[in-house]
Amino acid sequence: MKKIGLFYSFNTIKTAKNAEKIKNAFGDAVDIDKVNVEEIDEETFLSYDNMVLGVPTWFDGELPNYWDEFMPAIEDLKLKGKTVALFGLGDQVGYPENFVDAIGILAKALEERGAKVIGLTSTEGFTFERSAALRDGKFLGLALDIENQAALSNDRIKNWVEQLKGEFN
Amino acid sequence: MSNHFAKPEWNIHNVSSCTGNHTLHAVGVGRAMKKYKHEGVVFSSQGESSVSEGYVYEAINGATNEQLPVVFVFQDNGYGISVPKKDQTANRKVADNFRGMKYLKIIHCNGKDVFDSMNAVLEAKEYAMANSTPVIVQANCVRMGSHSNSDRHELYRDNAELNYVQEYDPLAKYRRMLVRYKRFTEEELQAIDAEVKLEVKKAHKAGLTAPDPDPASIYDFVLPEAYVSEKYPEGTHSFTGNEKKLIEGLNETLKAEFRHNPDTYIWGQDIANKDKGGIFNVSKGMQQEFGKERVFNAPIAEDYIMGTANGMSRFNDKIRIVVEGAEFADYFWPAMEQFVETTHDFWRSKGQYAPNITVRLASGGYIGGGLYHSQNIEGALTTFPGVRIVYPSYADDAAGLLRTSMRSKGMTVFMEPKALYNDPKAATPVPEDFEVPFGKARVRRAGSDLTIVTYGNTTHMCVEVADKLAEESGKQVEVIDLRSLIPLDKETVLKSVAKTNKVLVVHEDKVFSGFGAEISAMITEEDIRKVRCTSKTCGINIYSCRI
Ligand SMILES: Cc1cc2nc3c(=O)[nH]c(=O)nc-3n(C[C@H](O)[C@H](O)[C@H](O)COP(=O)(O)O)c2cc1C
Ligand SMILES: Cc1ncc(C[n+]2csc(CCOP(=O)(O)OP(=O)(O)O)c2C)c(N)n1
Repeated sequence: MKKIGLFYSFNTIKTAKNAEKIKNAFGDAVDIDKVNVEEIDEETFLSYDNMVLGVPTWFDGELPNYWDEFMPAIEDLKLKGKTVALFGLGDQVGYPENFVDAIGILAKALEERGAKVIGLTSTEGFTFERSAALRDGKFLGLALDIENQAALSNDRIKNWVEQLKGEFN
Repeated sequence: MSNHFAKPEWNIHNVSSCTGNHTLHAVGVGRAMKKYKHEGVVFSSQGESSVSEGYVYEAINGATNEQLPVVFVFQDNGYGISVPKKDQTANRKVADNFRGMKYLKIIHCNGKDVFDSMNAVLEAKEYAMANSTPVIVQANCVRMGSHSNSDRHELYRDNAELNYVQEYDPLAKYRRMLVRYKRFTEEELQAIDAEVKLEVKKAHKAGLTAPDPDPASIYDFVLPEAYVSEKYPEGTHSFTGNEKKLIEGLNETLKAEFRHNPDTYIWGQDIANKDKGGIFNVSKGMQQEFGKERVFNAPIAEDYIMGTANGMSRFNDKIRIVVEGAEFADYFWPAMEQFVETTHDFWRSKGQYAPNITVRLASGGYIGGGLYHSQNIEGALTTFPGVRIVYPSYADDAAGLLRTSMRSKGMTVFMEPKALYNDPKAATPVPEDFEVPFGKARVRRAGSDLTIVTYGNTTHMCVEVADKLAEESGKQVEVIDLRSLIPLDKETVLKSVAKTNKVLVVHEDKVFSGFGAEISAMITEEDIRKVRCTSKTCGINIYSCRI
């Protein structure tokens, strides 16, 4: 498996903690670079063919600033040949109308530039009204809700990483 | 009063402090744009919480129904002062409450992002103009500080929240984006900052050193100028043609004014449908003659009727609007907030905007109606500075006052004693061009033994009683028909009181705090001999004042 760039904001606590868990679940055999999204530029982003992106949802269905501010750059990138998996924290009780929307917003933008999005997961076990992260009834990545289902996160991460091992090149 | 800042010459209008009530004005301006085929769009902006106000729903319902180019922006910062938005409405995004409305486009944007906001508003503008339909833009914003100086947000927001709202400062993000995408260098931005700071500092200093306003100036701009009658300066005539009923006087004057001024409009409930012309048929035949663009029905939403009149009148000052404010004066209460708003506008804009509106209201008792078909509301309405209120009792005065109202600037409430519409008692000859100036009472019967001050329905009762008294006792009672409540013709009243030394005030309004109490108080205050007043009530309301 090619080296993975694990992108998330180092200023977060919750997302960072789960990124760490994901890294651990891959184990030492997989080469993973942690990259702070707050500081990335186009060059760093393009230097990985395999990427795992941490994207929590903020403000009723929005990307956090650090991703949102990189979006105009993404719109000009050629991402053919890139394989991307996304995980996102959300709160299905507090924000049932926009549950983990940010996964969907980012996934769709990357796909439009040619990237392949992998790591789709089932919505089973979640209760919400709407989500922009859905395609054909599946999330376009891994949804984590540590606000309401913290106890389920470890298994969700473990299963997802196993799935990714099969899907990444 | 920061929310009252305005720049009428740039079409930036002064809005009230009453959260969200300018949505109705926006719809009124939109209606004018459509009628005058003006290429434009109206913007209205408010917070998400004030969308809870009923009139906002009336406004958006009306804008969709009339298909008007109005963009309603909701800036959603999650709070109405301390109240989180979950206590306002069930949907997280209040724009979603309007999803079922036909012809309405809803656009969501990130209000913390300058570019996304700009694109959303541009899209909304183009859509509204191209389709002549309303758009809602729901902008997802953030409130970094307290609501106002008197609010302390740390009382209801935790540290985590106070922290992240700072991180989402839209201006800081804008700066980062400008630099990141090489639109500006940090140095260029700093130079702009410095320049703006200097400008603000200068303005601040100029504000602080400006002299305080003269206290006497609070009376400036209370009422815009009234139409001046050259031919009938006292509002009297000696015409002797055929007698016309009060309803005919009104109907014919409305039509004459609509012929005279092409920028006249009338709407209300039941105002026009085939042969129906107003709940009491006062506007009968108008839609046939002047068309649906100028004579049209309104929804059962009195605040909408009043608020869109205020708005449409803003489009240009040639426009003269007549509304049937409610089917019965009794149903005007839902329109009170726009009525109050409209009384303020001229004063609040320092004379830059005069709402040129005549509000017709069928008023008073004696038709055998119940609680909501018999009310007199003039006692409540006359407490507001910034409106004229007239109340004729005869056909000629009704015609003359209506003409003056429709030619004047500002708002006039035109009370129609509905029991007299078809009553032969109120029928008089009416000169075709009759005009009655505001603030001119009319002595309906001369006398020197007692003064009766009255108006509306009770004028006729007083004249009848006076005739009877003369017959029975030989005493002559002077009956003064006020015609205008605001402005009030104090001179005629005081002159008569000086002659008769006895006054009886007769009116139909509330016993407690009715308009008659004000007349009685005025006589007590202004008559140099300091008359003493006692009051008596008998079905109708009588105040008697003795010297
Ligand atoms: C203001 C605010 C808005 C939020 N909006 C959403 C949302 O629309 N959808 C969602 O699934 N979660 C939403 N959340 C929940 C966050 O995604 C969740 O708390 C997450 O754990 C935050 O992770 P982070 O602190 O690492 O960024 C919101 C949280 C906050 C504080
Ligand atoms: C009719 C009315 N009711 C109450 C108030 C007091 N008030 C002033 S601002 C405000 C909150 C408005 O919240 P929102 O519409 O969300 O706008 P924001 O101030 O958050 O931008 C309230 C309740 C008012 N000005 N007018």
